[in-house]
Amino acid sequence: MGQIVEYREALRQAIDEEMTRDPNVFIMGEDVAEYNGAYKVTKGMLDKWGPERVLDTPISESAFAGCGIGAAMTGLRPIVEFMSFNFSFVAADQIISNAATMHYMSGGRFKVPIVFRGPNGAAAQVSCQHSHCVEEIYGSLPGLLIVSPSNPYDAKGLLKASVRNDNPVIFLESELSYNDKMEIPEEEYLVPIGKAAVAVEGKDITLVSYGRMMKPCHDVVKELAGRGIKVELVDLRSIRPLDIATVAQSIRKTHRCVLVEEGHIFGGICAEVGCQIMEHCFDDLDAPVERVCQLETPMPYSKVLEAETLPNPRRIIAAVERVMNKN
Amino acid sequence: MKKKGAFASDPKKVIDELGKETVLDCLKQMLLIRNFENRGEQAYQQGKVGGFYHSYIGQEAIAPAAVQAMGKDHWWGGTYRCHGTLLCLGAKPNEMMAELYGRANGNSHGRGGSMHMYLDNFLGGFGVVGGQIPIMGGAAFSIKYQGIKDKIAVCFLGDGATAQGSFHESLNLASKWDLPVLYIVENNNWGIGTNVGRVICVDKLAEDRAPAYGMKGYTVDGMDFFSCYSAFKQCLSDVINDGRPVIIEALTERFRGHSVSDPGLYRSKEQLQKIMESDPLLVMKKHLIDVKLIDEEKYKAMDKEQRDIVVEAMKHAESSPWPDPVVLEDGVYA
Repeated sequence: MGQIVEYREALRQAIDEEMTRDPNVFIMGEDVAEYNGAYKVTKGMLDKWGPERVLDTPISESAFAGCGIGAAMTGLRPIVEFMSFNFSFVAADQIISNAATMHYMSGGRFKVPIVFRGPNGAAAQVSCQHSHCVEEIYGSLPGLLIVSPSNPYDAKGLLKASVRNDNPVIFLESELSYNDKMEIPEEEYLVPIGKAAVAVEGKDITLVSYGRMMKPCHDVVKELAGRGIKVELVDLRSIRPLDIATVAQSIRKTHRCVLVEEGHIFGGICAEVGCQIMEHCFDDLDAPVERVCQLETPMPYSKVLEAETLPNPRRIIAAVERVMNKN
Repeated sequence: MKKKGAFASDPKKVIDELGKETVLDCLKQMLLIRNFENRGEQAYQQGKVGGFYHSYIGQEAIAPAAVQAMGKDHWWGGTYRCHGTLLCLGAKPNEMMAELYGRANGNSHGRGGSMHMYLDNFLGGFGVVGGQIPIMGGAAFSIKYQGIKDKIAVCFLGDGATAQGSFHESLNLASKWDLPVLYIVENNNWGIGTNVGRVICVDKLAEDRAPAYGMKGYTVDGMDFFSCYSAFKQCLSDVINDGRPVIIEALTERFRGHSVSDPGLYRSKEQLQKIMESDPLLVMKKHLIDVKLIDEEKYKAMDKEQRDIVVEAMKHAESSPWPDPVVLEDGVYA
């Protein structure tokens, strides 16, 4: 028996279940309590759990992110919502200098079991300061886990796993995914952090992506299937740890690969994945790997320009065709 | 001339309250810090210690008074100038010196160095100015969340940190959420080579700021152990009884540069000599001689005792094993 839920409801269930299971779990962030969350992920939670465990913060990312880290170091398991991961930059010192380093730097004395969650990447025409993809920034830092679920099932299972993890987790959602619906189990389940999923099996070429970009990738898989090209689609689900084994296994079958990322091409996640593919699969490849990423611009406002700089099915298909035609 | 704060130095009263032995133990701690920092810097000059080294010399009245006045059983945290607090809270000179030497049995296993040492109740020396202020708010949050009534979070910070956004954000949050946190601003007058008066828009770092955040603010002579003791007693009582954050400025001086690599050219020898007349150890010694608790000879013997402990710690560090590179990647994740 399943239930059809939106992505936001899957997240809400995860938070609610974990708060039920563990009294040390609480959530704080801007507008999460009385306003029910900027994207309504925490709808009804203040009424259910009260102001001790569902806390509206001032607009002080440094203070409340750091407060969460300090609480995590002293026995609690906070979930900190960033209204947008763009605002996490105000708290960058807390996340980068404190959360990421603490366990190592303290010789293992202090753990930081905290989840930073919220929407990442572009929404709809929100321009340069509200559209950053943060995974290539935080992903470069050992000590952080980076999780990016592409669908409601993974969102719920991965968020529950993140809350139970003893490390700081950067949990990346998308404003454009909160309305996505999917059937998920009624009963409790977890999705382990660090396991990629083969979303669609195929034999001709491997397409690798994660997060919101899985949607255009699914569109491409369908379109190419109509032309007789069987694409294997891999959903990374987490950036750190990176499940390169699942990617490599797929490439050993297909011998061709295209990588798709919402963020910038320079120094991005695809640059890392592509390099690891070269290290592990050089002799398995029949063609050079191609990347389809955001072009090297800040995010423009105009919808015409925004669509042009982001990866889209047209650019993904063109890349697949180039890789398919090389020997 | 700045006011030295409202807390009188009353050695007799404190000795009556604590007993002679405890007061002598506090002097021992101050001497231990002085000797530890002297020898640590010496080891640095010999190339045994690397990185940054921020000496607590000149500020030794503050941490011992805070720990003695409030007790150890709180959450503590502070800056990269952290050795004094750690020694008072019970970190062993051996493990701290081994950390300075980068050895496997160092306080943080050779991962943190001078700036990043820990205890189970000391959340760290933090390396970025102001970075610990939100963290200590979090420790206070935990205390409140867990319903603990007799415990607070004690956050040391420097004068420079009062210009950071994290300071103002955190004071607002702590005030609004009634967090049991005490901010101790150790004002040693310098952010590296920039005088506090050139960059901070208020004169009294606690008293002038506190009203804006609806909290109590105090100033204390940070060179006098007994003034500090009375002040921190008051602060602890305020935080616990009011269930509110409190901020106090301890007026102090550092006798060394910002770190070992700072020659301190921004003040003259004469200025420094003048400053050193208020050496917290001399002040303490004079108080204790006045009340006949010690004499010069006893002071010298106590100093030697602490010096011997630190020299022993250096030998321990020198003979301690280096970390095995095999463990390099251990503990990046919990």
